Amino acid sequence: MTDELELLKRDWQKKEAELPKLSYEDIHKMIWKKSSSIVKWILIISILEFTIPQLLLFVPALEETMQIYENIGVSNYLFALSLIIYAVVLFFIFQFYRRYTEISVLDNSKNLMKKILRTRKTVKHYVLFSLSMILVTIIIMLVGVYLNEDITHIVPELGDKLEKVSPDKLRMTLMLTLGIFGLVFTVFMGGIYFLLYGLLLRKLNKNYAELKQLEI
Amino acid sequence: MNKELEHKFVTELQDNQNIVHKVCTLYTNDRDSHNDLFQEITIQLWKAYPKFRGEAKFSTWMYRVALNTAITLYRKSKKRIDTQDYESVIFKIKADEYDETEEQQLKLMYKAVRQLGDVDKALVFLYLEEKNYTEISETLGITEVNARVKMNRIKTKLRTILNP
Repeated sequence: MTDELELLKRDWQKKEAELPKLSYEDIHKMIWKKSSSIVKWILIISILEFTIPQLLLFVPALEETMQIYENIGVSNYLFALSLIIYAVVLFFIFQFYRRYTEISVLDNSKNLMKKILRTRKTVKHYVLFSLSMILVTIIIMLVGVYLNEDITHIVPELGDKLEKVSPDKLRMTLMLTLGIFGLVFTVFMGGIYFLLYGLLLRKLNKNYAELKQLEI
Repeated sequence: MNKELEHKFVTELQDNQNIVHKVCTLYTNDRDSHNDLFQEITIQLWKAYPKFRGEAKFSTWMYRVALNTAITLYRKSKKRIDTQDYESVIFKIKADEYDETEEQQLKLMYKAVRQLGDVDKALVFLYLEEKNYTEISETLGITEVNARVKMNRIKTKLRTILNP
């Protein structure tokens, strides 16, 4: 076998003559092209993940939602919660930036993969955090609805029609709707996330596992 | 200053472009992907160039960046050779069993090497480029012993592909 590999080596060196030759101009043009590396995609996706939830707050329709929070009587709690969330998000952005700057193509392959996967993990933690915050918000609202005495007052637009329905039934319906919406939304966001990174990093994970396996 | 750096980089890369082409040949299956990977490697080399202090030879430094880009950073747009191709290799070997000319053997070896995993391919590549195990282990981030063990496994793997 060694002989066969030697044969391959000789041929490999001979084949150099057949390789394409790029001109100075060709190469010069390339150096200003945009990279499409995995690292860049992770950066783009992460920035979107950090910003999109924040942008959602500016959607006008959400002002009505704010009104609902107030009607339920939980706006103070949610305000406190959002302060905590922002502090944690800032921490995550800082962490993510630090991880990102650690990545260097000059590292050895295993370290490089390790650092990319670690960066991904930071983002994963952030996403898990955001998803659980959605759930916490929903739970606070559920508790709010449960403890609220004047249930018709929560959605005033529907007031007239709702007077005929018994308050208990209304309370249950409202809680159920909120709960289901919250769960579906969380699962949906989680699904998008896992799909995105699962596909992006499948190859990297495999290669890393291969190198890691050697350590045993 | 920047222009000067640019000029120096492009000239050096042009002189050593074979290394990048060889990596592209191993890791891609068609001309488009070859050019795609070549470009990505060039971008990564250029981005890392300001940190290149000349402690190592430019070419040595290139191996690391080029391989890292191929195994770690680059996203293939096309699927790698699938099992169907693998089957056809086996089939072909059986058919050619009695006609073992050097040319045939080489063809089969190249095909077999292309079917290895990304990391194995990197090892074979460095081996073909006559890098010693110290360099190989440093580039990939594994110990020298592990690099040898892995290389032996690859040899066995290639042997089974060639002599089923």
